[in-house]
Amino acid sequence: MKHLLVALIAAAVLPITALAQEEVSLKGKELFGDMRARHIGPALMSGRINDLEMHPTNSRILYAGTAGGGVWKSNDGGATFSPIFDDHAQSIGVVALDPANPDQNIWVGTGETWTRNSVSIGDGLYHSTDGGNNWTEIEGFEKSERIASIAINPSNTSEVYVGVLGALWGDSEDRGVYKTSDGGKTWDKILYVGPSTGAADVIMDPENPNVLYASMWQFRRTGWGFNSGGENSALYKSTDAGQTWNKIHNGFPKGELGRIAVAVAPSDNNILYAVLETEDKSKNGLWKSTNAGQSWEHLNNDFGLTVRPFYFSRVTIDPRNPDIVVKGGLNGSISRDGGKTFKSLGQMHSDIHDITFHINDSDVMYAGTDGGVYRSWNGGTTFEIVENLPLSQFYHISVDDAEPYNVYGGLQDNGSWWGPSSSPGGVEARDWNSVGAGDGFRVLKHPTKNIIYSEMQGAENVWRYDVDKNRTKTIQPLPKKGDPELRFNWNAPMAVSHHVPDRFYMGSQFVHRSDDMGDSWEIISPDLTTNDASKQDQSKSGGLSVDNSGAENHTTIFTIAESPLDKDILWVGTDDGNVQVTTNGGKTWTNVTENLKGIPDNTWVYHIEASVHGKGTAYAVFDGHTMGDMQPYALKTTDYGKTWTNIISDDIQKNAFVRNIQEDYENEDLLFLGTEMGLYVTIDGGSNWSHFTNNMPPVAVHFVDLHKGTNDLVMGTHGRGVIIIDDISPLRELDQEILKKDVHFFETQPFVMAEESGFGTSFGNETQFVGGNKPNTARIVYYLQKRHTFGKMTMEVQDMEGNKIATLSPGKSKGINVVNWSYNTKVPKMAEGKTLSFGGFTAPRVAAGKYKIVMTKGKDTYEHVVELKYDESALTTLAERKKQEELTQTLFNMVEELAYMVYEIGETQDKANEVIENHPKGKKQAEKLYTALENLRAELVITTGDNYVAAAEPELRERMGELYSNVAGSYDQVSGAQLQNFELISQEFEDAKKRYASIMDKEGKKFMNFLEKNNLEKPSIESKEEFLADD
Amino acid sequence: MKTIKTLLIAVLVLACAPLTAQTADEIIANYFENTGGKDAWGELDGVHIAGSVSAQGMEIPVDVYQMKDGRQMVKISLQGQEMTQMAFDGETMWTTNFMTMEAEKSDTEMTNNMKQQATKDFPSPFFNYKDKGYQVELMGTETMEGTETFKLKLVQDPIMVDGKEEQNISYHYFDTENFVPIASESEIKAGPMKGQMSKNTMSDYQEVNGLYFPFDMGMSGQNIIIKEITLNPEVTPAMFAFPEKAATMDEDKN
Repeated sequence: MKHLLVALIAAAVLPITALAQEEVSLKGKELFGDMRARHIGPALMSGRINDLEMHPTNSRILYAGTAGGGVWKSNDGGATFSPIFDDHAQSIGVVALDPANPDQNIWVGTGETWTRNSVSIGDGLYHSTDGGNNWTEIEGFEKSERIASIAINPSNTSEVYVGVLGALWGDSEDRGVYKTSDGGKTWDKILYVGPSTGAADVIMDPENPNVLYASMWQFRRTGWGFNSGGENSALYKSTDAGQTWNKIHNGFPKGELGRIAVAVAPSDNNILYAVLETEDKSKNGLWKSTNAGQSWEHLNNDFGLTVRPFYFSRVTIDPRNPDIVVKGGLNGSISRDGGKTFKSLGQMHSDIHDITFHINDSDVMYAGTDGGVYRSWNGGTTFEIVENLPLSQFYHISVDDAEPYNVYGGLQDNGSWWGPSSSPGGVEARDWNSVGAGDGFRVLKHPTKNIIYSEMQGAENVWRYDVDKNRTKTIQPLPKKGDPELRFNWNAPMAVSHHVPDRFYMGSQFVHRSDDMGDSWEIISPDLTTNDASKQDQSKSGGLSVDNSGAENHTTIFTIAESPLDKDILWVGTDDGNVQVTTNGGKTWTNVTENLKGIPDNTWVYHIEASVHGKGTAYAVFDGHTMGDMQPYALKTTDYGKTWTNIISDDIQKNAFVRNIQEDYENEDLLFLGTEMGLYVTIDGGSNWSHFTNNMPPVAVHFVDLHKGTNDLVMGTHGRGVIIIDDISPLRELDQEILKKDVHFFETQPFVMAEESGFGTSFGNETQFVGGNKPNTARIVYYLQKRHTFGKMTMEVQDMEGNKIATLSPGKSKGINVVNWSYNTKVPKMAEGKTLSFGGFTAPRVAAGKYKIVMTKGKDTYEHVVELKYDESALTTLAERKKQEELTQTLFNMVEELAYMVYEIGETQDKANEVIENHPKGKKQAEKLYTALENLRAELVITTGDNYVAAAEPELRERMGELYSNVAGSYDQVSGAQLQNFELISQEFEDAKKRYASIMDKEGKKFMNFLEKNNLEKPSIESKEEFLADD
Repeated sequence: MKTIKTLLIAVLVLACAPLTAQTADEIIANYFENTGGKDAWGELDGVHIAGSVSAQGMEIPVDVYQMKDGRQMVKISLQGQEMTQMAFDGETMWTTNFMTMEAEKSDTEMTNNMKQQATKDFPSPFFNYKDKGYQVELMGTETMEGTETFKLKLVQDPIMVDGKEEQNISYHYFDTENFVPIASESEIKAGPMKGQMSKNTMSDYQEVNGLYFPFDMGMSGQNIIIKEITLNPEVTPAMFAFPEKAATMDEDKN
């Protein structure tokens, strides 16, 4: 008690001292309070999976390590999954469970390992000792970038081997095989080949934990090419727990090797399978050893086994049968004859990266693909998709001005889509519409017409889709006579004009402009790139296996930004580091690259944001990750690029390279930064940044848009789909003054009481992801300087005269709190019956106008006025609406009047019962009264049956309640039928009242006389006001 | 002078408090000390919590009884109808079917989980946790509800879920300034949300006969606002006991 008192005094004193001492911090987690992100998926196509891991003894549990969306756990055999790694890097290489304590000890190696052009990065090795609720980062792996393998000694699980594949875009001495013998406290690097050769597969003999196999892979990616293979790639074996390693190549072809997959049969440790990438195409594919790696035999070089080794290099062997072998690939392949012949796995999303078998039943298989996790129940012939993994990998998103607005965007290997930001019952898979094929990138809505532009990789196709007519036209710029070959980025830039609705831009090395929605094109710039020929030959890209998919096209334009203030100002950024600007619609261009400050040469210009705050103002973000530089870069100019200011502070993680920036339209100091490690926000123009982590994992944010109508911040993430922060406008107001106040209510625009009453369904929602909706409510937003913990704090809505309208539950967090009010007042008090009257669960909506939000906190009261407006799309005239509101009120009163009457009857009946039991003299009169009242009551409320199929016929309460509920809940004028029904019910109620009066006049009077004569108390009946005020 | 002295002490206490309370046991001890004293908590035989839940314009009265011997009961009232939402008499756990408004027994697994936990969790699972075989670990500090908290991990007896034994772990966040819990998190063990974390919050702490209780408890976004807490309430065995069907039928005849 004493302590508490002191603490309370201290707490009271604290704000004063804080005020006197220093400025309140403009950053930190508490700034955002309970402003939370919501996720809308989509999950119908899911996203890329890197690794699957089965629990060794509990077949209900499995894990998915995803390419960009963290780690997910299933407790139900893969029917549904939940995320368990949302505080750390979302790009996952491998998940491993401690064989001795698989429920508690989990290892996660971050950094995806199927090294396509668009991969993200990891930031180390993590360990959980409580089933994934908390994670500890293991020291020493911070620079590992990609961890491919973890092998744990089952008889001594403190002994763990980790295969670090390492950096993709540069040399790294962090690569190699590491070992700990003390559960992760200390580590030794036990196999290292060189700075360009990483560990791919590291596996352990199932019988003998001293026997290990490791495949080492020499590889390198640049912005313009990929190389797999070299003299250093090799397959090694150790028989002394990693102390010494020997190459086991007996039978392998001479020359360079590429990526090697290796697996040992769980049921026979002499049988190994390896998949090779070699200089000799005929020797690529599957190799087998039946003597634990002493010698190898080549078995198969089918397409399914040799395709894209950097992307597909996983071999899985049935745990019970060494002849059943499965290989990841474009479609995935399965052999049932020990690897001699293969057939494709059943139909599912292409690009299969991992396959696992059920621990007890080989008919059950799981596959991780570019389109999520699939399950098979028949040994791999039929696959079904897991429908609740929202891992979609957006490259870009945009929004329109519909209500609710739609989100448009393109996905890695999953086409292009648009879907609503809110939908009845939540944003479901069926709400999304396809608008493209292949890999999807930018998707833009025509500013005025119901037309959508979309594209596939390298602008191989750019589509103009007429939504109303359901017609598609291909409109990409085509070379004409005299044009050089056009170089489009894999993710080719598109832009629509804010000023000329039919104007549409695209970028190759040139800026292309069309004024007729892509039917005809004009080149309005010279080559704006460095045009460095050494970065333009992709025909040999890939290394030992040529991989010229177009993904490495370089020296291209990557971003085009038209000024929202002037149609002739265009900004262009290129993937090879140029920033160019025109102020005359492309007649002349100025290369401002030389003026950039602190940006290494040729750093990818990922996005330029042309500002609404000044014609010469723009932001540019730079991404050096394809040169091995993960640092965040963002600059601002206010003079058309002549000078630039750095707006990155130390608050941003060192490896959080930047892909996008979004400015606020009103407050120039409010900026949102999309980085590889999540979203950062500044409210002071970039001096301080705060990591936004409320329901927002540190996922790669590829694109950020701010919706003008709603102030919603919409993010296209590369691994967790579309994530929205509803209405960021409170952040505009935040400054020192407000942060110093105990309580501050943020100003809000008048709320429109949306009138919608459609049907949402929940079919399929048991196992499908459903995205959260934006609450269709009044949002009351306030700031608390301190978390409210002691004493009462309440909130209610009052009309301007101070009458209580509704009770709200206020948030009590330090920082910003958001409370939703659904415009309803309270439900009527219903008459008590044997069952529930469902009509009584409707609370009337309030009328448009001003209302007071009254917050009481201890002894202090704070008030804030909100304004409500009717929906302009209303079906009714104002006069009709007033009639509806009046009738609602009349029925509300009538329902409560009936409730009071039934209460009076009940109290009188209780008294009668008392007399029946205790006063024989009055029994007869009491019985008469009781029976008369009971006969009446039975017609007023239901007195028998239940709430379901044994329900009694509806009585007056039910019919009155039903009419009340229908009138109160309707958005249309009161119908003729309702009026007629009202007449009938009013009449019935009048009749009942008369009957009640006559009973009380006759049997009642006699009974009361008896009570009086015998000095007995009359029934104690509360006044109507008291009765209605009770709970 | 006196004011200045108090101020100084206050500032000193504030500055030192988070530093001195380094261990989980100290945090728990401070919590009980600050909220009425461990002895007083130990003497408590039961509580009756009367409050309400607001939902769509309805204020639904809720009554919760929790007893030292493990008996407990949650009763709500809708349109004047009282319904026991959950009750446990030490042996039998039961609910009311919403369709028939009649009592039905909970399944054996759930009842057994309740049986092993009910007595141990009163007045708080942290109370003499070692004697109960529970484990507590300080995980460090964390920002919760915008404020700095100590994060304590609590491991209770394993429970059975759909026929399999599962760990029973929860996390409790104690305000570093005053050592009262302001939030807790635990994994949802069954039902459609299984595998996800649920978060509870506690605020509006007020004194009841010398003990401090939160008068606003948020459970996954739904708040129960407490109007009154009665210590050592009068109870009857019938409040917790499963009502036999015959008795219900008799009532109907009345």
